[in-house]
Amino acid sequence: MSLSAPLFPNELAEPILWHPVIFAYALVISGADLIILASLAYISRRMMKAIPLLLVLGVSFFSAALLGPLADLRQPSRASLIYSLAHLFPTATNPGFSFIALYANLWLLLLILSIAFLLIYQSYPMHLKSLEGGRLKSLYKVFSLGVSDGERYRRLASLITVIAILTIIPAVLWGVYPSVLLVFQTWIFLWRSWVILPVIFFADTFVASTAAALLVYFIIKLGKLDQEVVSPLLKIHSAGCVSVTGLLGVQLLLWNQWFEESALYPAFNVVVPIIYFVIATLLLSFLLALASLKVPRLSIIVSIVALVGVVMNKWNTLVNGQLISRTGMGLFDLHLPTDWLLTTISPIAAAILIFVILSSLFPLEVKEVGK
Amino acid sequence: MRRRDLLKLTFTAAPILLLPASSALPQRKRYAMLIDVERCYGCMACVAACAAENNVPIGVFRTWVERYVRKDGNVVFVPKQCNHCENPPCVKPCPTGATFKREDGLVLINDEICIGCGACIQACPYGARFPNPVKGVADKCTFCEHRLANGLLPACVEACPTTARIFGDLNDSESEISKIVESSNVQVLKVWAHTEPKIYYKSLPTEADL
Repeated sequence: MSLSAPLFPNELAEPILWHPVIFAYALVISGADLIILASLAYISRRMMKAIPLLLVLGVSFFSAALLGPLADLRQPSRASLIYSLAHLFPTATNPGFSFIALYANLWLLLLILSIAFLLIYQSYPMHLKSLEGGRLKSLYKVFSLGVSDGERYRRLASLITVIAILTIIPAVLWGVYPSVLLVFQTWIFLWRSWVILPVIFFADTFVASTAAALLVYFIIKLGKLDQEVVSPLLKIHSAGCVSVTGLLGVQLLLWNQWFEESALYPAFNVVVPIIYFVIATLLLSFLLALASLKVPRLSIIVSIVALVGVVMNKWNTLVNGQLISRTGMGLFDLHLPTDWLLTTISPIAAAILIFVILSSLFPLEVKEVGK
Repeated sequence: MRRRDLLKLTFTAAPILLLPASSALPQRKRYAMLIDVERCYGCMACVAACAAENNVPIGVFRTWVERYVRKDGNVVFVPKQCNHCENPPCVKPCPTGATFKREDGLVLINDEICIGCGACIQACPYGARFPNPVKGVADKCTFCEHRLANGLLPACVEACPTTARIFGDLNDSESEISKIVESSNVQVLKVWAHTEPKIYYKSLPTEADL
């Protein structure tokens, strides 16, 4: 018997159901990892100089995270129903729970915690900034939260530590989103067979977040980099690159093992060549990061190379993944909506705008921390 | 009310209250459909009837008919649609509970609270759901629940000229579908997905189970 209809007709109507904006969304999520890095740095009292940058960049990116899925909704005016009718607990009529509802609620929790972290952490530096005067003096005073002396600020250290610890759990959970949704609550052939995708996403967002931090730091410092800030970021970045390349290699081996004899194997050709490209790019970024430990100015190339790899990886997973039919037997052509580029760039542009505003308010270098 | 009357009422009512719920209430329905592939000759009357009854936009389908060619040249037609699964994977990811499973087993969508996120569409292993381009919400077969409420059969069942589709209540042991499902060898799509579909097939070709 030969097969003449391997695709489902409803798939043909709109193969790329989740538009490329979901890919921008996955990049902005790296804000959660920046918050993790800031929290770990504060708790461990390491990388203290990098905390203000990580925190401001993390909050900026993370606050724009839900703009991606919002742009992808067919009924965006009903988005608030995710909170008011959240499907978080199983009932007879609605068994299971929704990852989308869970993560929307976690987003709110993490956003509140990270803003609290940022405000309390920056309270005394904002007081010092208000003493310098200027047109925004009264605004800086408001952001100082009434903390006007070093002694009072030191007493807040334990509260900041508690908040930092509390942010880690939702931030780690956000670090693996939306991969858990793709693997466990969809029936797209590629995603269902990509079993280690959540681990890859977690490592990948560290690569994206450190690359973004290195890039922003290079731009704001105009190349005059502080080794104390750059070195730890490069080390984390290197570890992330090695992890992602290793995990991608493992996944390729697994697919080979499971599907080599199967008629479904040709479908993987849509993603496999780009995975090789991503592995090569991230390995290059890793090698450059090692060199950059000696020559910090190379960090800008490290971050650009890594961001190219990360962008390709996300596009490959999220957009190309949808090109394989649910049956695994057919492939679709890539047809994107006419405004896809603008829609995709918008959440990233919004994140950058928020960063510009926040970085003009909060200092990105805090001398008094820990003293 | 006097105390004597109250006691009398209590003793009269007690046996009724102690009866098992199943005998006191009418038995719950469990709707299902059986499709006999050997009877289908691909006339698409079901597809047309469904589209007309439910105002389905052009290019998307609540039911469709797949065509397979045997090595001997004979053609097999396999009608497909939402399987109204007992364990529906589409209900779980719905963030607002707009997709739900009714007591009679029908898996339905509340258009009023669907936000159009597409999670249920991505979660259906059968490709039975689609974004309705007119309404901006998820859409799929409802077993024509508006017709069932009026004692009618789903439009596709009524339109089928060869009675390839049989619809009924699995909990009614006297119904035709119950008898066939109990007595003959029937198949469901994608058993390995553990969705427990309620669309049963007779003579389903293996290739159609993708």
